[in-house]
Amino acid sequence: MKDNFFGYHKVLLDINLTTKEIKTVPIPREDIENFLGGRGLGMKLIWDRLKKPGIGALSPENPLMFMPGPFSGFPIPSASRVVVVTKSPCTSPENKSLTSSSTVSYSNMGGFFGPEIRFAGYDGILISGKAKHPSYIVIEDNRVEIRDARAYWGMKTDEFDKAIVKQLNNERFQTCYIGPAGENLVSYACILHTTARAAGRGVGAVMGSKNLKAIAVKGTGMPHIADHKKFSIALKKVRDTSTGPVDGIKTDLFRKWGTAAFLQTLSDDGLMAVKNYREGTYSEIEKINAKTAREKAWVRDFACYCCPLACKKSGAVKDGPHKTIVHDGPEYETGTMFGANLMISDFNGMMKAIYDGDDLGMDIISAGNVIGFFMEAYEKGLVTKTDLDGLDLIWGNVDSVIKFISKIAYRDGIGDLAANGVKAVSQKIGQGSDAFAIHVKGLELAAHNIHANPPRALSYSVSNRGACHLCGDTISDQNFMAAVDSLGICFFATDFNKVLMPGVDKNLLGELLTAITGIDWDEDRFIKVGERVFNLEKMFNFREGFRREDDNLPDRFFAEPYTKGEEKGALLNKEDFNAMMDEFYVKRKWDPVTTKPTNKKLSELGLGFTI
Amino acid sequence: MEDNKTPEVYRKSSTHEKRALTRREFIMKLAIGGGSLVLLAGCGAKVTSVFDTGSGKQIYSFIAVDYSKCTGCRTCEAVCTAYNNPLFRDGRYKSDLGNPVHANIRVHSFNPDVDVPVTCARCDDIPCVNSCPVKPDPVTNRRALYQSGKYDLITNDTDRCIGCGNCVSACADSSVGILSQNPATNKPMRMCTLCGGDPKCLEHCPYEALSVLRVDTAYPYYRMSPEDIAEKLNKRWYNLNV
Ligand code: SF4
Ligand code: SF4
Ligand code: SF4
Repeated sequence: MKDNFFGYHKVLLDINLTTKEIKTVPIPREDIENFLGGRGLGMKLIWDRLKKPGIGALSPENPLMFMPGPFSGFPIPSASRVVVVTKSPCTSPENKSLTSSSTVSYSNMGGFFGPEIRFAGYDGILISGKAKHPSYIVIEDNRVEIRDARAYWGMKTDEFDKAIVKQLNNERFQTCYIGPAGENLVSYACILHTTARAAGRGVGAVMGSKNLKAIAVKGTGMPHIADHKKFSIALKKVRDTSTGPVDGIKTDLFRKWGTAAFLQTLSDDGLMAVKNYREGTYSEIEKINAKTAREKAWVRDFACYCCPLACKKSGAVKDGPHKTIVHDGPEYETGTMFGANLMISDFNGMMKAIYDGDDLGMDIISAGNVIGFFMEAYEKGLVTKTDLDGLDLIWGNVDSVIKFISKIAYRDGIGDLAANGVKAVSQKIGQGSDAFAIHVKGLELAAHNIHANPPRALSYSVSNRGACHLCGDTISDQNFMAAVDSLGICFFATDFNKVLMPGVDKNLLGELLTAITGIDWDEDRFIKVGERVFNLEKMFNFREGFRREDDNLPDRFFAEPYTKGEEKGALLNKEDFNAMMDEFYVKRKWDPVTTKPTNKKLSELGLGFTI
Repeated sequence: MEDNKTPEVYRKSSTHEKRALTRREFIMKLAIGGGSLVLLAGCGAKVTSVFDTGSGKQIYSFIAVDYSKCTGCRTCEAVCTAYNNPLFRDGRYKSDLGNPVHANIRVHSFNPDVDVPVTCARCDDIPCVNSCPVKPDPVTNRRALYQSGKYDLITNDTDRCIGCGNCVSACADSSVGILSQNPATNKPMRMCTLCGGDPKCLEHCPYEALSVLRVDTAYPYYRMSPEDIAEKLNKRWYNLNV
């Protein structure tokens, strides 16, 4: 029977906060076959919902979606992810013809929330509209309620996480929520889960704009699968390969050090964001690296749903003024953006900054980037201490940074400007500061520096949500990542880095998907989904007015070579960069002048509806 | 900070050596070096009940958790429920489809980050069974909750069980509090089955955090509630009194 496929509930939970209408909407088989779930299916839904460009990211029409994938809910190693898909409040094109144009945003978060959505009986949750007053949503299987959250509005995330468990009187609820940053529409606010897992890159502001404090979900169900025998066989293979050899480099690295392992190596290799991306190596990295974290703070490794890697670490600050802070971190991104990028080497101070960033609910990547920009502008005399409300924002001054973080979350004084992201800040300050405002399309670069890494420069430039370190440095990596992001599994479980990090390959992902769905998947068909998703995202952005001039990098990377470290003297070359970009568009079958995918490509991918 | 070392009692536990060994060899290997470990046979090997031969008193086996190794990944819940309470089955293939909320092992998560899996402690004084108000059957001498089979597992006779919840309260009052009432029937659930002698949780825990141990009341967290265990761990790890 044609419509007989498995692995899905085939429904989306659709909640309109304005009308308080709650319904389930069927998901057509075609969309599932073409977009799978997660980032892909979310992209298709947002394309369908937003029929014209220029609808404001913070307007009630913008859908905010929580999308697990077809692997979510099954005991598949590392199948813990949920992707939040919405229109980005961070990005904007050079072309100003539409005031509220922006790219799509998708942000991937681990933990237990994605699987729980599937336990409750849905393949995704879509929220639109705007509640009259602060609200939260409670989902218990097919019982869905919108409740009053006025008592919780303003609460920081750590306190809220504790309060909501008491309120719901059941610790089996999985929740995600925003903090003051999201409530105050800080453009780079994030959505948190278990106080430290976050969907960043602006999605928290969209949640705040809907007056939505939290979503709690709990369920007793499970989707059917097509072929139990095939599933057991494929699952065993995945269990045997996802970690690489146990005690091999991959498990060893993630379990012992998490992504913080890269703090030392990427600094050594000149690939780290240091001093607002001016340098690639941090001379004091030993004071904040993973080894120091293990000695000074970490007491526990913890993992997301069914994950054998346990890349997360939690610890306590044991001495000094920030004693008693218990939190996870640093990870590579947080340790770089609130450490090396701000020249902070005070480990305990950095832990406090990370704790506050999470507690207030902001994307630490963007926050560290914005603060780095202010530090540089202050050093250069483009802003004064008075402009900064009296904060002496010199490099490494962690106490000022901690105060600044709070100002951002509450839009207090200078924080009101800083809350709009580095692009807006540099436009306001002017004086040539755009050369060191480190963003693409308005989204701040992540913790990987690029003077010595041209492939990553390309990836930041063409990523569909603005500068993104997880986009993939080559076309095939990009397609692979987009496909993996559509499954609900964490890319750390895959063989994304075949040499150092063996794992599940695309062939096996296809095998597992076939067993679950009963639809035949092979690696080509699977990767094609990734290419389709990437192109549909591109078409969404193109419709919003993004063109070749938006796939651009700040001048810093072409003009100011590193002055120290392994890669001293490294610089991007403009001609080489342009040639690399030309080649990229041609290979993608996109027009190099406008960046529009050719109609032929779109039709071939089944995206004829975008033409 | 107090020491965060693995207590001696966990000397042997689930291990990744299983990847290189067959399941049978694995169990043999553990059995040989077992020490305090009591192993339940798998792979069709003969199973014997576990007795403390010294006193003649019956001592059971239970799934013990090394909290310093547990990462809170809930793989144990997922595989327990897939084996013991699958939602869908397909012929002879175990479905791997269960919802973790129905598992016999339950991971309690707390803020600050502490995860506390608990399962039936196999109490020697069986407060759950003794609290059952159903009159013992004249022939079998069993109440509606009783011990049965080669492992003397806590078993519910659902035909005679009246769903009063006494056992659930007794377990909570004087032991772990693992039992709970099935929301549909009110009858007790989460009695560990030891998976017929081949515990799935132990086999699949990726972090070697689980062991099958002979009950020993000196075991550091024995019969404690998840909340009490979390409090101790908070103190030990984060030096916090929450
Ligand atoms: S599988 Fe192991 S590490 Fe994971 S929650 Fe269970 S006991 Fe803890
Ligand atoms: S009281 Fe609870 S923990 Fe003790 S034997 Fe009964 S069910 Fe197990
Ligand atoms: S031994 Fe079996 S029944 Fe008992 S907790 Fe482990 S998996 Fe569940």
